[in-house]
Amino acid sequence: MYEEPYRWVEAVGNRRQYLDDQLKEGTPVVGVTYERGILLMTMSKGTPKLYEIYDRLALGGMGHPADLEKLRFNLLEMAHVEGFNRSASDVTGSRLVKYGIAPVIKQAFEEVFKAPFIVKMLLAELGQKSGKDGFLTINYDGTFEERSQSAVLAATSVVEQKMIEYVRRQSIVSLKDAVDVSIRTWAVGDRAQRSALEDGEGRDEAKPDSDQEMIGAETLYAHVRRCIPEKTIECVLLDRQVQGPSKYRALEADELEAVLPTDLNPSLS
Amino acid sequence: MQSDFYQLLKAQGYILGVSGQAGARQELTTATTILAFKYRDGVLVAGDRRATAGNMVMYDRTDKVLEIDRSSVMAIAGVPATAYEMARILEHSFKYYRRTQLQELSFEGKLRALSKLLKENVAAALAGTGAVAPIFAGYDAGQEAAKIYFYDILGAEFEGVEYAVSGSGSSTIRGILHYLNTWGEQPLSAMPEEQATVQALRLLTSAAEFDSATGGVNREAGLYPVIKFITAGGVRVMPDLQLRSLFESRVARSV
Repeated sequence: MYEEPYRWVEAVGNRRQYLDDQLKEGTPVVGVTYERGILLMTMSKGTPKLYEIYDRLALGGMGHPADLEKLRFNLLEMAHVEGFNRSASDVTGSRLVKYGIAPVIKQAFEEVFKAPFIVKMLLAELGQKSGKDGFLTINYDGTFEERSQSAVLAATSVVEQKMIEYVRRQSIVSLKDAVDVSIRTWAVGDRAQRSALEDGEGRDEAKPDSDQEMIGAETLYAHVRRCIPEKTIECVLLDRQVQGPSKYRALEADELEAVLPTDLNPSLS
Repeated sequence: MQSDFYQLLKAQGYILGVSGQAGARQELTTATTILAFKYRDGVLVAGDRRATAGNMVMYDRTDKVLEIDRSSVMAIAGVPATAYEMARILEHSFKYYRRTQLQELSFEGKLRALSKLLKENVAAALAGTGAVAPIFAGYDAGQEAAKIYFYDILGAEFEGVEYAVSGSGSSTIRGILHYLNTWGEQPLSAMPEEQATVQALRLLTSAAEFDSATGGVNREAGLYPVIKFITAGGVRVMPDLQLRSLFESRVARSV
């Protein structure tokens, strides 16, 4: 029956609804640049959501863990084979996404008899110089968007927009700033998602958060403190000052504690 | 999920080395001197910098002590094209494993990876077009110790409990290492870093004295051997400035 164009469009629409529904309880991911590189941050329940892909590439994802793993392996294979056959500088986020996984995700999304990938992904790429750092976000339908300075993943585009608006108003220089802003931005996203869920809405039609402008840092820290018992703050860096070709490193617990906003530190101990 | 980078390459049609013709054996080229020994803080790995083709000096700035990852080093003796290719495969294999499995490949796994590459290369090695006899040294996080292994061209793996040598100048310094370790003022494994470095410089200078394919120190050009240390903190390179200072004060008097 999907041979009829209308049926096919309807099926794709149903798929979009299904995927939005699957992702509505996912945990947001935030990526920001700072003076030494890029910070990716999320809060996860046990299974990590942030990964190293190549020397200057890191991945954040939300969605089904098995789908995320499959696409992560695709990226790793492509990156390492390309890095071996050509050179590390030929492994770019843009090529991996545009000619690698975005077409795969799109194809899976449109093949209505097969299961789509229940994922949203954020690929961060450390440039050779400060100011050349970038992000690529990929949606479950294969559409991708290139950004600089910051990028986010959240359940819906409305929530993502709220997070982007929030992060844009912040000033980030040091790692401490980056951790602070990313945690607050995460809280903006997570609050908006929970609010949409409570209102029984999970999609782009979610009502705009009228008091968004008014949300103070204390409210956001309080939200994070409430989440900490069941979730762990996960931060990874692409740090330009790391020796050697691989610039990826996870922020260890003691290092994270040293740069966390004081409002959050007691919650960790 | 194998996470074996070499298998991934092979699945895409990659072939290591040049396939050799059985029986067409030529003189094996292992013109170099590389050495590794345990000192007080870990393992020191050193190599001269000369690359030769027959009796011709091709290059005097070769780095034969290659950092494979943050905690392991492969020193190469043999055909450079194959040796460098093996080092690149290993480097990518270890990174690929770490990134896919979210944990480091074990030290035994790293040793096995090199052994497998050498076995794959046997035909080229026997034909004389790709013989490699490397030393692999690294920090074994499981046993909290730096270790040395050396290989023959067929892939057999041996632990150098105290030290290991390879290359055309190795026969000269193997005896010296044995003497130093057995009857020296203190065993190699008790030497502090500076003393170990001086010994490595003296050993490579001795090898260059008797083996034309081993490059000695070229003071005019500022060319010194490559010396790297492997400790619990990872791999570290001894800077040329320090090598120069130690060479001038404690090695050069008799050269």
